[in-house]
Order: sequence, then C-alpha cells, then structure tokens
Amino acid sequence: MSAPAYEKVILRNLQDPGYRGTLAEYRARGGYSGLPKALQLQPQEVIDLVKQSGLRGRGGAGFPTGLKWDFVPKDLALTKYVAINGDEGEPGTFKDRQLLEQEPHPIIEGTVITAYAIGAHVAYIYVRGEFVEGAKVFQRALEEAYAAGFLGKNILGSGFDLDFYMHRGAGAYICGEETGLLESLEGKRGQPRLKPPFPAVKGLFGKPTVVNNVETVSNLPPILVGGPEWYAGIGVPPKNTGTRIFSISGHVERPGNYELPLGLPLRELIFEHAGGIRGGRQLKAVIPGGASSPIFTPAHLDVKMDFDSVAAAGSMAGSGGVVVMDETTCLVRVARVIAHFFAHESCGQCTQCREGTAWLHKMLTRIDEGKGRPEDLEVILDVCDNMKGKTICVLSDAAAMPIESYIKHFRDDFEHHIRGGACPTGMA
Amino acid sequence: MPTVIIDGKELTVDKGTNLIEACRALGLEIPHFCYHPGLPVVGQCRMCQVEVEGQPKLAIACATEAADKMVVRVHSERAVKARKAVLEFLLLNHPLDCPICDRGGECPLQEYTMAHGPGKSRFAEQAIDKVHRTKARPIGPYVIFDAERCVLCTRCVRFCKEVPGTAELGVIQRGDRSEIGLFPGKQLDNPLSGNVIDLCPVGALTSRDYRFKSRPWDLVARVDTTCALCSTGCSITMDVRYLKARREVLRVRPRVNKAVNTYWICDQGRFGFHFIHDEARLRAPSVREDGHRRSLSWDEALGRTARGLAEALRAGAGTVGVIASSRLTNEEAYLLQRFARDVLRTPNLDFRLRPEQEPTGDRKLDVLRHADQTPNTRGLRAIGLLPGAGGLGVAEMLAAARDGRLKALLVIEEDPLGDPRWAGPGQEAFARLDQIAVADLFLTRTGEAGHVVFPARSYAEKEGSFTNAEGRVQRVRPAVEPPGQIWSLAEILGGLARHLGTPFPMLGPREAFEALVREVPAFAGMGYEALDPVGLPLSGNGKGSAG
Ligand SMILES: Cc1cc2nc3c(=O)[nH]c(=O)nc-3n(C[C@H](O)[C@H](O)[C@H](O)COP(=O)(O)O)c2cc1C
Ligand code: SF4
Ligand code: SF4
Ligand code: FES
Repeated sequence: MSAPAYEKVILRNLQDPGYRGTLAEYRARGGYSGLPKALQLQPQEVIDLVKQSGLRGRGGAGFPTGLKWDFVPKDLALTKYVAINGDEGEPGTFKDRQLLEQEPHPIIEGTVITAYAIGAHVAYIYVRGEFVEGAKVFQRALEEAYAAGFLGKNILGSGFDLDFYMHRGAGAYICGEETGLLESLEGKRGQPRLKPPFPAVKGLFGKPTVVNNVETVSNLPPILVGGPEWYAGIGVPPKNTGTRIFSISGHVERPGNYELPLGLPLRELIFEHAGGIRGGRQLKAVIPGGASSPIFTPAHLDVKMDFDSVAAAGSMAGSGGVVVMDETTCLVRVARVIAHFFAHESCGQCTQCREGTAWLHKMLTRIDEGKGRPEDLEVILDVCDNMKGKTICVLSDAAAMPIESYIKHFRDDFEHHIRGGACPTGMA
Repeated sequence: MPTVIIDGKELTVDKGTNLIEACRALGLEIPHFCYHPGLPVVGQCRMCQVEVEGQPKLAIACATEAADKMVVRVHSERAVKARKAVLEFLLLNHPLDCPICDRGGECPLQEYTMAHGPGKSRFAEQAIDKVHRTKARPIGPYVIFDAERCVLCTRCVRFCKEVPGTAELGVIQRGDRSEIGLFPGKQLDNPLSGNVIDLCPVGALTSRDYRFKSRPWDLVARVDTTCALCSTGCSITMDVRYLKARREVLRVRPRVNKAVNTYWICDQGRFGFHFIHDEARLRAPSVREDGHRRSLSWDEALGRTARGLAEALRAGAGTVGVIASSRLTNEEAYLLQRFARDVLRTPNLDFRLRPEQEPTGDRKLDVLRHADQTPNTRGLRAIGLLPGAGGLGVAEMLAAARDGRLKALLVIEEDPLGDPRWAGPGQEAFARLDQIAVADLFLTRTGEAGHVVFPARSYAEKEGSFTNAEGRVQRVRPAVEPPGQIWSLAEILGGLARHLGTPFPMLGPREAFEALVREVPAFAGMGYEALDPVGLPLSGNGKGSAG
C-alpha cells in the first residue's frame, strides 16, 4: 500500500536522492529566487504577505509569523536582530537537524527575508550542540552564501546588508526557549527571561529581536515564490496553512521525517505514511507534538494534525514530534523517562519547576520500581497543578501536562504498579 | 497616580509602584524571597503570586505595577494555594535545622512557613532521596555558605553583580542541582560582601563574625545610629545584647536611607566596630610621671591639666593650641570651638591632618566608602573648627611649639605622632611643650607623649550628630555604656573650665545642637528630632564660616 502523495514545500529537493544541498544544487532547483522578490517589496509588504500566507511558527508555539514580525518597532534607527532557533531539543523531534544537514540554504534565504522584513542587519543561528554535522554543513553554506552575495553588504544590489553568524549550543534544552536562547547568545547562563518585555520589543542585547525556528523560515522562500494564496491553499486555511515536517518515531514500521499538509488525520500519519505499528501490534498511545504535549490514545486517531485541532483535542501540535507507542509500552515508565528529562533540563530559576520536576521524577521512579503508595497519584496531580501556569517559561507546564495526561488516560497502568508493585506490560 | 484595590482596600500609589510595595503601604506583607527593592526584579521564586482580576494567570506581585482600577486579591483561594505550594516546594530539600541556624527567629522562610505553609510534608522521598549539599563553607573573609538552606533566590548573585560590580557569585548547574557558587579563582571579598548576609532570606549566608553569637531574641536593643568609620555616614542599626552584665554591640546592619547608603553598608562599617569592646580601651585618666603612666582620678587629672593650661595662658595670648579629630560630633565640635575661643582664648584650632579631609575632588573609594575615614569632616568645617583670625593650623602649631611660642596643646581623638606625615615634626614639638593633654580611646603614640591622658568615648557611646561628606546631618546614638567611667567631651571641657575658673555652659547634646542651629547658618532651621530617621542637609554651601 503506498501512502497518498502531497506537494512538498520544504523537503521538495530532498526527494532527489543525489541532492546534497549545496548552493549550486539549491540554485539549480530555483533556490534564492524568493529573496529577490522580497527585496523588491517594501519591508511592510513582506510582513503583510507572510501574514496572508497564514504561516505559523514551527518551533512549538505555533505563533503567526507575520504577526510576530509586525510587533517589532518600525523605527529605522533602532538596531534589530534576527535569531534563528536551531536548538531542537524537544524529545521526539528531529526535523531541524535534517534541514541543517541537508537543506541549509532555504534557512539562509528565509533568514535574509526575515531580516529584511524587520530591518535587521545582523542575524544569528543557534545550533544545538550535538548537531556536529549540521553545524559543519551550515557553516559551509554560510560561506557559500557570502561568496555569492546572498549575505554581507548590499545583498543582490539591493542596498540591504546582513551578517549571519552561527552560534553553537552546549547541550541545554532550555536554550531552545527563545529568551533562554537570547541569554545564551549574549554569553550568559541560558535561562529564560521574565516577560514582558517580549523579544520583539527587547530581545538580544536589549534590542528588538525576532526569534524564528529553522523550519519556519525555510517556508519563506517558497512563500515568496509561490505567493501567499498558493501557500494558504495548503493545509486547513485560514489558520493552519502549509505543510510541516512530522518527525515520527517509536513503534512504527517506517520512522522518519514526513513533510505533510497540516490537518491530516493522525491515523493517516501513522498507518499510511509511517507504515503502521511495527510487527502488527496494537497502538497504545501517541505523543502528538513532542515530549511536552499531552498524550493521545487510539481514540484520538481521527484528530486532524494541525495546531487548532490538536489543541481542541486536549494536546498541542508543538514541534511536530510524533512518538508512537504500542501495547508493550508501560506509561509509568514513559512518565518516569519524560519526568527525568524535564527534571534534568529545568533551568532551575522558578521554584515550582526546579523542585516540582525533580519531585515528580522521584515519585514516578518510586512507582515504577514498585514502591508506590495509594496516595501518590493524587499528590502527583496536585504537584502538577501547582506547577502549571505559574512560572517564567512554560517548561514547567511542559513537564506537568504530559504527566497529568498519562494518569488521566492510563490510570490503570499507574494503579496496577501501585497495587501490585509490578508492571502490567511486563516492561523490564 | 493609580488607585488600586487590594483585598477590598483602595490605595493610591506613585506610578511605577509594584504590588509588593503597594501592599506594604497597606500594612500587608506579600511573602517574597527574590524581590528586593535595591536589586533588579527577576521574578524567580514565585512566592509573591496574587490574583489580579481579569488576568487568567496569577500575577507575581514583584513584577506587577499597580495600575489604575486594578483589583488585586492577595487572599483568593487560588493565590493562597499557589503560595503554599511554593513553600512546600522550597521545604522539600530544606534541612529544617532551624534550631542551630543563625537565621532562626528572623528568617522569612521560617516566618512564612508558620503563617502560610503546609503543616506536613507530602514528600515521601525524604529519607532516601533528599538532596544533601555542602554545609558551612567559608566563601570569603566574612561569609559562610550553607548550600542546603539556600532557596536560590539569587539575591546574593544579583547584589555582587549590580552593586559592587564584582560578580563573584553565580548559579552553578541547573534544575534541582542548582547551587550558588563562586566563580573559579574568586572569593567573596568585595568591600561590600557582608550585605549578602542581610539579603539572604534564609540562613544560607551567615556572618563568620556573628555566627552562633546570639539569637535574635537575646538582643536587648536595636539602636538606630550613623556609622562613624568613614565620611559617607551610612545609616546603621547596632544590635545590642548583654554579655557578662554589660551591653555589647553584637552586629551592625544597614538601615535604609535613600539619601545616603540606600540598603547597604560596607564591610568596614559592618565588621569594623569591634575596637569599641577592645580590652586595650582606656578606662581612666592617667598621668606620665618619671617615664611611667599612673592612673588618677578625674578631678586630679582635670586639675593638673587646668594648671598646665593656666600657666601657658599666663605666658600670653595664643600660647595654647587644640588639635581635634573629625570623629567628634557636631555638638562636641561646637563646644570645643567655644571652649577654645572663650576659655583658652586661642585661635589655634585645627583638625586637618590628612589630605583626604580637604573638600576637593572625588573621594569615593567605591559605591559607598569615602577616602576620609572620619565621619564629621564636613561638620567640623561647617562649624569652624579651624584656625581663627591669626590662628595657627596643625603644621604651624607644631612649628610654634618647636620654637617655644606654643606652650600647651590639647589633642582630642587624634594621633599626630602615630601618623608618619606628622611624627617627625611632632616629636620635636612635643618634646618642648610644657603641657600636653590628650583624650582618646586608646593609648596612642601621642598619648604616650601626653602629660595627662583622658579616656574618650567611641561612636557607640556618644550622643549627637555627624555631618557626612555630602553635608547631611544625621543622628548618633549611644548603643552601649563606655567601658569605664568615661566622661563625655562636654564634661571634660566643663571640668577644665571649672578648674580654670572661667564660666562655660554645660550643654547636653540637644542643647549644643540647638545652639548650633542658632549660631551656625548652615544648621539654621534644623530640629534635633527632625534629624530622624534619615538626616537633614546643611543649608547653603555648608562650608562654614572659616577656613
Ligand atoms: C522549554 C522550551 C524549549 C523550546 N525549545 C525550542 C527549540 O528547540 N526549537 C525551537 O524552534 N523552539 C523552541 N521553543 C519555542 C521557542 O521558545 C519559540 O517559541 C520559537 O523558537 C519561536 O519560533 P517560531 O515562531 O518560528 O516557532 C522552546 C520553548 C520552550 C518553552
Ligand atoms: S519554568 Fe523552569 S525552565 Fe522555565 S524559567 Fe522557570 S525554572 Fe526555568
Ligand atoms: S544564598 Fe541566600 S541570597 Fe543567595 S540565592 Fe541562596 S537563599 Fe538567596
Ligand atoms: S518575589 Fe516575586 S517572584 Fe520572587
């Protein structure tokens, strides 16, 4: 059975197995033809065009990209910055990695378009520390783009200047949160800032800054070339337009990155594109948008995978990381592993998050090891409640909400552990 | 000016006031750890959550500006639960060693827990999994760090970064492994380091000096006064307790004074007070006889001094000199210049022994400390404790003594012979003087050369006022009794006048201050009471009449 084919926007060139993503190859396939179109427009026209396209951020929050740009003060005298988020730390997500390693030029082209729209002359990309290959490829691409006049002074004779620097992370998930990223870029301890002020007003070095995800800006060249109406025609207009890259992992036959229109049913994603559950087993649970997102069950298979539909179903589309779990999976262990992640990654400035993530991890470890107490689940749920909506950034929520959802949908797994002191699935 | 409604009470505040300060104005304390009015707001501890009508999430009071018609509920069910939760989180890994903690009894964490906290821990991991950390590690000359008690409010970190600008401290690691630590190769040894002890809302940073010396409830008095250890004149509180039936100053803390020191004091002011309890303090007058010092009664000592002075006075006018310290209070200075004029009838009067006492140039060593290590140079200048018409300054007095024109010298709380700049000319001069009377806390070089030596009171034993380098007049109050029967300078001068048979008014500090207000224009219009709590500025240029 072959999966239905859809038009690709970002991974189009990668369908050609010989494609290496060099400047020459990218240009041979029409690359860098969106940028000249943008440079012929007024910056505000570019912003309006991106608004019309309906593009929303692919980094996690799904915030409308054009609207974010529009928040930047229009004062020409102000220094502004663009920061591209390539930290990709969300467990279950590996799309930005592929773009950095295999298709770096649309990121550069999209960044120049972004910088032009908001009037920035310096851009940074923050690349996850572990992406050694991606960083190497991207650095080479930057050099190619400078040599070809797509970066530097007077880009394509437009009079617009942009310098673009790469900065590599050092292994902290929290540096993917936009203000943590900015702190880290400034050379400080990577921890989120109290907001407001938001980065669009006071960002890098105190100047207005747009932070966009690698995948988000990769959409810009095709939007400029194809026009906003074309882009808005993909997906579920008007608010969930375009495609996104779903990183599908876990117990499926064909894990990998799949670029698909927003709004495809989860069922199609798993069973047609990813080849279904491995070994013909039963589906048990799905994380729909990275480790931060509340869990789905087989009852959610018809949810459309776009921002608003996933939210309406009680989770979030997040970073597009879809983790599929079959019947052999124990949600207590999942909870323990995920709780460990967040406890390890909390920056530690907010009391609830610092202490709550660690406490959750300790309680879940105890339950997983068969030492749970009957009152534990209520304590866990109350601790989650105390962690949500009360901190500087949403990592605390991201740590609490999935755990709540596991208990809500898979309470049996937990109670079995607590009562019987052992795992119902026999997971070792 | 916005009017907010807090728990049903209306309050109009200045624009820019945050909700913690607004509540404080209503007498309502919103618990908080990371917020401090003297430091940047970071909103990290999340202890100060309140409900603001119309906002879906709870707001942190420290980072929320009071806005017009804003309706704030400090005690809504949601806000109370959220704050209780923060305390529960903070106590998870807290050692609960309050009985042996120096902060016990004056610890916000302890107080909030009693008032708002969870009664009982739900933390079942305690025995096996509680995080244990370093205890009692010295991190600088004055400060000890106990990581287990730390609530990671980062006040100490922000202080070192923002106020002295030295940034010795940072948060090391992340999540629940976060710990306050020194940057490699650093010590917490900036000149303001002791402030972190007051800033720390728990017993994580304690004073090596005060550690285990007392419990807050042993303190018998907290005396609001002014630091005398430099010309900045920081507002301080001296905490006093009884030790062996004597009152003793246990520690010195800053007192808020926006016009002077804001919230801070330097380490010298905080820890440099111990000399007041030094065993070597002079306790009784003494006289030098055949190369030995012999104690004698106050009456005898005053009599001998008066006889020496009278003899000098008989030799003519201007044969007596007075060198006084700018450690004297305004009131002492006033009486002393009157004594010189009316009793000694001499214009030879001076206090200037050091270049830092000159009123020129920027004399700040850092954000607080002043190069002039005396508290009242500006006051002495304003009052005119300086050579009168035809009078001699310090150098001229010494020269006059050397060639026999000056016969007697009174030296009050200064030690020219102990100062390398003056010791040379001083030795020769002192050798020729017929009468040297010295009053000081210790037996100095000058005291050793003195014929009669009187013990003097320290700044912790004096009442009156100082005028700081900026011209602000502030109160000085006695926190303890002098270590022996030590007369005040007013009493010494009165006693000398009596023995000399010259009328001289006995004025207490308040009366002396009132006389100053009447007679010295820079002090015009001031009231003694009005000096509290933050002092009053001199009027005009305050430079005084002479000099
Ligand atoms: C804890 C945390 C981690 C995040 N990590 C990433 C990340 O690795 N990459 C990313 O693009 N966005 C991440 N985000 C989202 C960013 O804060 C931000 O919303 C995003 O980069 C904006 O770009 P976009 O509008 O193009 O999506 C994270 C957010 C949080 C709260
Ligand atoms: S919520 Fe957690 S990760 Fe986010 S700022 Fe607070 S402590 Fe750091
Ligand atoms: S040591 Fe004290 S002041 Fe410093 S972070 Fe910890 S609790 Fe706060
Ligand atoms: S005092 Fe407001 S968050 Fe700490």
